[in-house]
Amino acid sequence: MTEIRQRILADPATRVLMALLAVLLLGVIFSADGAFYRLATHRDALRQASVYGILGCGMTLVIVTGGIDLAVGSVLALVSVVFSLMSIWWGWPAIVAVPISLAVGAACGAVSGSLTAYFRIQPFIATLAMMVFARGMAKAVTGGAKISPAVPQPDGSYQYVDVPAIFRAIDSRTLFDNLSIVTVIFLLCGALSWALLSRHRWGRQAYAIGGNEEAARLSGVPVVRAKMLAYVICGFLTAVAGICQAAQEQQGDPEAGAGYELTAIAIAVIGGTSLMGGRGGIGLTLIGTLTIGYLDKILSINAVPEAGRLMLTGVIVVAAVLGQSRGR
Amino acid sequence: MSDVSRFHKIAPVMALAAALWAAGCGSGEPAREASSRGGQGKYTIGMSQCNLGEPWRVQMNADLREAAAKHPDIEIIFKDAQNDTLRQRAHIEEFVSAGVDLIIVSPKESQPLTEPVARAYAGGIPVIVLDRAVLGDQFTTFIGADNRLVGRAAGEWIKTKLGGKGRVVELKGLMTSPPAQDRNRGFREAIEGSGIEVVFEADMKWLEADARKEMESALARYPKIDLVYAHNDPGAHGAYLAAKAAGREGEIVFVGIDALPQEGVAYVVQGILDATFQYPTGAAEAIDAAMKILRNETVEKQITLGSRIFTRENVEQGGAPLSQGAGAP
Repeated sequence: MTEIRQRILADPATRVLMALLAVLLLGVIFSADGAFYRLATHRDALRQASVYGILGCGMTLVIVTGGIDLAVGSVLALVSVVFSLMSIWWGWPAIVAVPISLAVGAACGAVSGSLTAYFRIQPFIATLAMMVFARGMAKAVTGGAKISPAVPQPDGSYQYVDVPAIFRAIDSRTLFDNLSIVTVIFLLCGALSWALLSRHRWGRQAYAIGGNEEAARLSGVPVVRAKMLAYVICGFLTAVAGICQAAQEQQGDPEAGAGYELTAIAIAVIGGTSLMGGRGGIGLTLIGTLTIGYLDKILSINAVPEAGRLMLTGVIVVAAVLGQSRGR
Repeated sequence: MSDVSRFHKIAPVMALAAALWAAGCGSGEPAREASSRGGQGKYTIGMSQCNLGEPWRVQMNADLREAAAKHPDIEIIFKDAQNDTLRQRAHIEEFVSAGVDLIIVSPKESQPLTEPVARAYAGGIPVIVLDRAVLGDQFTTFIGADNRLVGRAAGEWIKTKLGGKGRVVELKGLMTSPPAQDRNRGFREAIEGSGIEVVFEADMKWLEADARKEMESALARYPKIDLVYAHNDPGAHGAYLAAKAAGREGEIVFVGIDALPQEGVAYVVQGILDATFQYPTGAAEAIDAAMKILRNETVEKQITLGSRIFTRENVEQGGAPLSQGAGAP
């Protein structure tokens, strides 16, 4: 009996689920006048967690290869600004604006990837530089202002345009108003990442590189190409998140996404992905997303003051991760 | 060790140094804004802005440029401290050693900037402090709006709008910053003793996405909300989007602060906000004061800026000014 229990507890999925259940229990206890039981609360918790979840998927892919991507917050802002510029100010159709925006994100990922894989610069430093650079580019595009439906005219006045249809489409709901479209996008990104990591040859290469890069190289794994792909896909997913962010704010904000990279890392780590590389999975990252998302929502509906939220979140992140290192 | 692996060990350090240098490079270079060419009889003004991340400060610099353009005999050098106090201290010292005729500074924090400003002032360079004050009185003049008055005016308007009673959600800016504290305090002072009840409040840190998230929580918890008071217009806009998604935007009044032309005022024109209160940048007043000082005229030690309110009724006329004592208890 004890052996079965030990085996269950040793499974990373169990420990992550326990963390999620603990958070949900917190919601049951502190249900804020029953707000926790309303469907709207859950639909909104998923909505607000979706952008972080998409970033978490990309981050998981990169961390599994033994790297890290600190630039996701800044690239999110850059894509958000570029997408808004094309869609709102220039009036380009979505069929043109979306692929270009995705390409911008992938290109940033490619730069980070080549700095890491070809030039062998440590991922922390390479993506730190990209984080600073991309933030600068986002501000350069707009001169520091936000791209909103108020379009500045040469004479200093403003012309108001409609919010583009693609923005409204992304920020809408489906399933009788019970599921946000951004949550659907998040789940699609999760499915894509899962397929790449668990079902595709690249996924096995990624785990091998993260586990022991030298051994992987000697076994014939194309390390440089595989690592590049991790960062390019992460950049692509970051671009998806940036488009969702712009749609949900109805504007492109060059200051958006500040600190999002840390939340993405927290999601991946709570989900059991080891920062050393070689361990982790998208399914677990999804559970990590729910854990952080619900914790945030429960603190929000209970109107917990900011200082308390920061401390509680820090404590719970540590507790969730401690619970994992036990069973190693 | 071989040369190749030595390179691989040094390269990260070089890359880090390059990245940090590039990041720090921008603010140190002065952006010369010459109103006209030629050095004779021209005054040089050094302007240190605490950051250009906030749209309101981008607007302040734009307003300064516009006001300065009307005076061909002044030239402003703009520096961006990127929200770094030490960098802002360096700006003041750089201006002093460059021998500018006047310094305008919008400080990030009061305490660390007080001494550098005092030294510049004692050395004979007039200093105009804009928006956030330094301590003491070792400067020429302080020009700023009063966030507490703005908060109070908002509270008074809300009291009138709701007929003295109602359920209000307050979405606060970063409560460790004085503007948010003042906008909160002024509002609470104005509604004290009335039937206005703040049923839900949260710190949305001036961010639209956070405001939307908090408003969703409020909507889930309270079936009846009459009004949302947000400390800035992006926050009010985020709350509006949340209410719209819940189909409840028609029954809620939305009030914001800042009234930037492309943001708050635009939202009032589009029918998203019911009212916004201007937090003026004070740029025009600063240039006026600068011209007076450079001509050796006296200026008041403290110039408190008035505010304007923009509502659906008066936005076409450019809003209405609030009297200085608006909402005073």
